Amino acid sequence: MDHRPQAWGRPRDDIYGAYDASYLQTSGPKTATQSPVVTGTSVIAIKFKDGIVMAADNLASYGSLARFTDVKRLRTFLDTSVVGFGGDVSDMQFLDRHLKELAIDEAYEHNDDQQQQDDDDSHHKSTPGTALNAANLHKYLQKLMYRRRNDFDPLWNQILVGGLDAARKPFLASVDLRGTAFTSPSLATGFGAALAQPIMRRYAATDEDAARLTREQAVDVVKECMKVLFYRDARSLDRYSIAVVTKDGVELSEDEQLERQSWAFAERIRGYGTQTV
Amino acid sequence: MFRNNYDNDSVTFSPQGRIFQVEYAAEAVKQGSVVVGIASKTHAVLVAIKRNAEELSSYQKKLFPIDEHVGIAIAGLTSDARVLSNFMKQQCLGHRLTYGRNMPVRTLVEMIGSKAQINTQHYGKRPYGVGLLVAGVDDQGPHLFEFQPSGMTEEMVAFAIGARSQMARTYLEKNIDAFRGCSREELIRHGLRALKESLVQDRELTVDNTSVGVVGAVKADDGTTKVEPFRVFDGQEVTAWIESVADDKEGGAGEGEGMEVDS
Amino acid sequence: MTSIGTGYDLANSIFSPDGRNFQVEYAVKAVENGGTAIGIRCKDGVVLAVEKIITSKLLKPGANKRIATVDRHLGVAYSGMVPDGRHFVDRARDEARAWRDTFKTPISTADLASRMGGYMQAYTLYQSVRPFGITAIVGGFDSREEAPVDGEVGSGPSCGAGGKVSSKTHGGPFLYMIEPSGLYWGYYGAATGKGRQAAKAELEKLDLSGAEGGITLEQAVKEAARIIYVAHDDSKDKEFELEMTWISGADGPTKGLHQEVPKALREEAERLAKKALESDDEDEGTEEKKGEEKMEE
Repeated sequence: MDHRPQAWGRPRDDIYGAYDASYLQTSGPKTATQSPVVTGTSVIAIKFKDGIVMAADNLASYGSLARFTDVKRLRTFLDTSVVGFGGDVSDMQFLDRHLKELAIDEAYEHNDDQQQQDDDDSHHKSTPGTALNAANLHKYLQKLMYRRRNDFDPLWNQILVGGLDAARKPFLASVDLRGTAFTSPSLATGFGAALAQPIMRRYAATDEDAARLTREQAVDVVKECMKVLFYRDARSLDRYSIAVVTKDGVELSEDEQLERQSWAFAERIRGYGTQTV
Repeated sequence: MFRNNYDNDSVTFSPQGRIFQVEYAAEAVKQGSVVVGIASKTHAVLVAIKRNAEELSSYQKKLFPIDEHVGIAIAGLTSDARVLSNFMKQQCLGHRLTYGRNMPVRTLVEMIGSKAQINTQHYGKRPYGVGLLVAGVDDQGPHLFEFQPSGMTEEMVAFAIGARSQMARTYLEKNIDAFRGCSREELIRHGLRALKESLVQDRELTVDNTSVGVVGAVKADDGTTKVEPFRVFDGQEVTAWIESVADDKEGGAGEGEGMEVDS
Repeated sequence: MTSIGTGYDLANSIFSPDGRNFQVEYAVKAVENGGTAIGIRCKDGVVLAVEKIITSKLLKPGANKRIATVDRHLGVAYSGMVPDGRHFVDRARDEARAWRDTFKTPISTADLASRMGGYMQAYTLYQSVRPFGITAIVGGFDSREEAPVDGEVGSGPSCGAGGKVSSKTHGGPFLYMIEPSGLYWGYYGAATGKGRQAAKAELEKLDLSGAEGGITLEQAVKEAARIIYVAHDDSKDKEFELEMTWISGADGPTKGLHQEVPKALREEAERLAKKALESDDEDEGTEEKKGEEKMEE
């Protein structure tokens, strides 16, 4: 019998075997999010003459289950920019709260940007003030996402940021869970990168092309892409949000319905639906 | 009782509700040589008198760049100024890195204001013994701020701090309506004239003792505001400006008035 | 004064034999020298106003704001030592943010006043710090509507009471004033700084009662301007700037946000204030003025 204090109260090794302490093991890497849980699918956006159009459907999937069907994945920032989230929804909510705090902070300094004394002065009046624009916001998100990746605790999202830059020109850029950031006249996350991007590039392959698009054309292109995505992406929904950002601010509509759907093409696809052959 | 018991630290109020240590720190600002700042619609300038310890020694710098769009002029303890200036540089750089833009000048100035206030409320700390004029541009155009050891920061149209700066302020007050529409060069000349008001009797502005700092916000054709980066001019670079204000002797302003002078 | 020379007034947190903390009382003196600040709570909102004494002609007019926003629906005005006021505001913003981090909802005016009262009080407890040389007026409008949780997406389940009792109203306008001791009360009308006596006398004349009766927010703006003008002492300080902010409910002019009073309304209020002052002077004649001068000593 082992009478040493460290053996007190323990089952006897000679009868029950040595205590298996392996579950107590504390070494080994600490792990954070390894994969997203509740997810949103594509976000798509395109620049046009005076701004950008962005859209995302209102679905949050739990694996292949269409779990939440009224999730708004486009968020406005200071009524001058819009942020679209693909990927993990809880991480999106975290970022949404974070950006809200950032917007409140910004408003502290610039709430009274009206510069009442300078009303007569066009130099000041025409300038947008010192609040963060879309380019600043994108840079900030890029740094945030990259730091979280370096902490091995990434925010599992792919994000599009749309708005205007310092020169009041349309601005559109993306950042993902690794902090990878880039900009393009049209952008799409998730399945949209494969399915929508080729369509949007037909209309806006370059910034020059985009500068020739009207708002109506851009909205039509985006709506067409949302339809294609709904046809072909099994994690998508026909209810979606669409935002238009111009100098005048953000117009966000969060409850759009895909119109003029035609599933005739499905008839020609083998293995689909009611076909039995 | 002659001894003032309420002035030993910055955590003791006097019965009148004053904090003498902070007021004494403000005196340290008046020991420094004079600096003047003015802002117009397009530019902000800082001008300063540099001192040298002796004839053969070099002159103590008074103007420091903080970031592309901000510069400061200091009066008081130079080493305290360096602490603040390093802090400001770091904040500007950090802001540029995370947001990709110039830090708004008011935000920056309020940060050093908050930093300085802490020193006036905790035992074992002392207020900064330096005053600053901060000139900078942001999306709102040019700005000029004054920073005091108390942590007070205020935006000014024009201002002067340091030894005998009251004379310069009087000049600035007289010409205050002119500054807003001034060109870059006119603004610098106004600054130098204000500086001259504060000189002691037989002193002159020279290429050795005069510093000029300029930062601007020039509106480009595409509607954006281009920053003319803050730059300090010393030595031969200021010759033309000094000469341009050399002949307008009294300039019609501030002559022969029994102004109050801080020693 | 009984405090001087006793030694009990040389450090913070020291009680005198009769139970006073003189350093806190001296801090109040610092407040009494500051420009007047007032707050009015009326049925549909809150107005904050401060008298900014122009200490130098070289100050940029209108550029140096004295009333700060804390979160979207809260404003703080203060009088006394301005850098202390800025510290107070910084802390209030931290509290508002921390509240949002924890509860995913904006902090209520009462909770902010409580947190900040506690913060001020902590600076009376230790010899290593001094009390705040300010009295702060905190105004806010807590949302009357069902507010979504921060970060909420979609509508969520549409069943259950969500902790709300039907027919009970929530939110509304609130006003608190916090003193250097950390003491705070809720007010209908609050005044501090140099002109507080005159301002209080004027505030007491206003009808600020309950939900139905009483003056409207727009009237309160005009009264606030007038009171600042009445409280201003021409003989001591020549010039001042009036700064005013207001907060209404979601259905009012500021949509629940703390904002600067629009220029047009402020100027109208100032015009009326000046007019009211002039007619006062005519009515009351010269004897009143003599009385005022005596009051100064």
